[in-house]
Amino acid sequence: MNNAYLSYATKRLVQAAIVILLAYVFTFIVVSVLPGDPVTNVLRNPQNGFSEAEIQEIIAAQGLDKPVFMQLSTSLSHFLIGDLGLSMRTNRSVTTMIAEVLPSTLVLAFAGLVVALILAIVIAYGTQFLPKRFGQGLLRGFPSLFLSVPNFVIGLVLIHIFGFQLGLFRVINPDSFWATFFAAVALGIPISAQIAEVLIANLDHESGQEYAAVARSRGLGQLQLFARHLLKPSSLPVITVVALTIGELLGGSLITEAVFGRTGIGSLVQRSVSTQDLPVLQAVVSLAAVVFVLVNLIADLVYPLLDPRVKLLGSAARRPATSDEGSSDIPKSVLS
Amino acid sequence: MTERLFSLSLSRRRLLITSSAVATGALVAMAGFTPAHSAGEPNGGDITFLIDSLGDSWIPNNSAISSFQGHIWGHVTDKLVYVDAAGKVSPWIAERWEQNDSATEFTLHLKSGVTFSDGTPLDASAAVANLDIWYAGRKKEGINPIGLFPKTYDHAEAVDATTVKIFFKKPTLGFIPTLGYHGSILISPKTIAQPAAQQADLSKTSGSGPYVVDSWKEGDFVKLVKRKDYNWGPAAVGHTGPAYLDTITYKLVSEPSLRVAAVQSGQADVAYNASPQELTSLKQEGFTVATPRYLGFVNGWAINTKLAPYDDVKVRQALQAGVNRQEIIDTVYTPDWKLATSFIQSNVPGATDHSELLAYNPDRAEKLLDEAGWKKGADGIRAKDGKQLSLTLNSNPYLVTSRSIDELIAQQLGKIGWKVDIRAYDVVTYGQKVQYGGAGVPAYEVTRSFIDAGTVASILTNANNGENWFALGESDQKINELRDKIASAGSLEARNPLLDELQKYVLEEGYFIPRTQMVQRIYVQSPKLKGETYNGVAYASYYTATISD
Repeated sequence: MNNAYLSYATKRLVQAAIVILLAYVFTFIVVSVLPGDPVTNVLRNPQNGFSEAEIQEIIAAQGLDKPVFMQLSTSLSHFLIGDLGLSMRTNRSVTTMIAEVLPSTLVLAFAGLVVALILAIVIAYGTQFLPKRFGQGLLRGFPSLFLSVPNFVIGLVLIHIFGFQLGLFRVINPDSFWATFFAAVALGIPISAQIAEVLIANLDHESGQEYAAVARSRGLGQLQLFARHLLKPSSLPVITVVALTIGELLGGSLITEAVFGRTGIGSLVQRSVSTQDLPVLQAVVSLAAVVFVLVNLIADLVYPLLDPRVKLLGSAARRPATSDEGSSDIPKSVLS
Repeated sequence: MTERLFSLSLSRRRLLITSSAVATGALVAMAGFTPAHSAGEPNGGDITFLIDSLGDSWIPNNSAISSFQGHIWGHVTDKLVYVDAAGKVSPWIAERWEQNDSATEFTLHLKSGVTFSDGTPLDASAAVANLDIWYAGRKKEGINPIGLFPKTYDHAEAVDATTVKIFFKKPTLGFIPTLGYHGSILISPKTIAQPAAQQADLSKTSGSGPYVVDSWKEGDFVKLVKRKDYNWGPAAVGHTGPAYLDTITYKLVSEPSLRVAAVQSGQADVAYNASPQELTSLKQEGFTVATPRYLGFVNGWAINTKLAPYDDVKVRQALQAGVNRQEIIDTVYTPDWKLATSFIQSNVPGATDHSELLAYNPDRAEKLLDEAGWKKGADGIRAKDGKQLSLTLNSNPYLVTSRSIDELIAQQLGKIGWKVDIRAYDVVTYGQKVQYGGAGVPAYEVTRSFIDAGTVASILTNANNGENWFALGESDQKINELRDKIASAGSLEARNPLLDELQKYVLEEGYFIPRTQMVQRIYVQSPKLKGETYNGVAYASYYTATISD
């Protein structure tokens, strides 16, 4: 690890911290300028019968009548020392609430990503090697198809067929293996589309390169050629796409969780937004920012290690760029 | 969690195969046998209830006021009195009670031997601790008072272990029925003493009910298990011993079609809040469909009498006559919904039938509008002094069918020359923008349960922090007079004729425009599950229920 790499890594870390802090402040401001406030929302439900004076008294007791700036500085100072506070809606510790739902979302997001990768690789392989009469061209249309069908429609169809008709899983037990599997499929399908698009484009490029021809001439089978030689160079941009997909995995899990009756970050966000539960929203947005920034950071830090041609441009570029995009260098692996 | 729910399905299967005792019990229950007094009682079984939301906070004071938690509190806690679906008050934890002639002092005599699930006795001092926190809450700590508890409360004292005396600053005839409502749940004094963050953890809350919380996960599920030593159920439900079902699992499934489909496929036993349009076909398939009404106001509009042209009694009366209420039931709902007969639900004690004032009469409506000077223009819309006759409706976001009803009424009123605009806001914006008597709100949609018909009068006017629904202030002598007489009435005999007069007056004046009687809770239930009861706020209790296979 040389000095250039270290300074590059440090700069990226500082950037990451700033992004997280900005996300926190931004969320606070957005939620604060929305009409209504979390306490009023519950108190004004006409079934409760609170008078206006009582509502004002309760709001004052919770400090919600103070100027937004003062509320922000209190909230931010607590956040910086790691105190996420109490949820306005449930009065429970935000840390506990997130710890309860996080595992389920992580399992779903990871499973969704695995499904997406497998699907993308299978489709990409098919577009390269499936004979034309077996629908090679058709496969190229799959990514657009996957992107155009809403994820909740896929989810509902899967539940009705595999849950209710075939009885493979029960909606009241959404954390079981099969329920998680089908939720992951519903989540993974749209995500696989973007990965597949990039993979197909790169495979098209790489398979036209000289080294591929060399490899073919040496009598390598299609699968070996694909797995040993084409997949690796085509996968580098895929890392970037996967890193960008993390946001979608988290966002998509909101809908998937609602459809499959799973309780996770998605459903927590949905309930917190509808009740403007600021402390929870702050924590979740910050967490999402941390995850997103971290994943991208890892991608950026790993990239130069995977591909020695990558130049470390430091803070000048957000992401390291390949110095010679059109390089037709023959990878060593082929020649060895 | 996974294992627990899995074993739930296993035990149901085991039940199907082996338990002949349950089969016998179910046969007996199906023959209409009251299970309270016999050998061969039905026992055991687990049910799953699919719910659309589990509400927010579980702090007993804060949560009991929201409709969703009522299901769980109804099984985990008891109340001092029982109020059935007809509004009839009967003993529960309070075996009997007395009051003075002016309804300012009440004495409750409690059952002895009742305990909370943490072992604390439910005695007079526990009752006082509950009454105090219902009235005042601990606002600084984030524990609210109970919105519907009488604001006239002064204090309560424990006379001896089973006697509580309660004092009010003013006559409070509605106090006893209040004790049977969903807010008035009895919680262990140990729980009450805890700070808000502890009280918010459902598993740390102890009630004295027939079930205790076994496990729960916020926004996901709550699993209840039966309390074997429970022996103080309300006599009104015909059973006082332990519940029959072993466990009840409330599971959140937010998609309505999935809740119903899960019951249809046998994966769950009850689906809450199905769409009204599905009910007829579900009944034909053999599912039990229940649409209990609650005690309270009918669904309708409180009219802002400050806002032109609704300051004109003839325009309000035209509105009253121009709404075809039968068509709402035929189009949006099913025959399970009932026509409004007053502005309070017909099952409320003291409600009287004023259907004749609510009959659909478009000719009368047109005549009234002509008299008021609103003449039909070439475009079919009435106008006066160059202004069109318009009505802005803000569809109530708390009621899913509200928008459809507004659209239907817009057509009905359109025929007699009204221009109707419909606005739809989300819950938060609605709460902020739409208020009784608000500047741009000619008609505020009401869906609301209440404790006792006696509180109605003060809600309608501005007395005692009243909500002043019709923006009348102190301007209407007659309604003020009725309000004062109703509030100070010491007995139901004296109060009922006054209530009747109030209902007639409010409807005649067109202050309140009823739409339909209120059904806010819809249950679709497997035919195997039987014997549930519905209380005065339309919550299902499975305390007396049994399940067969």
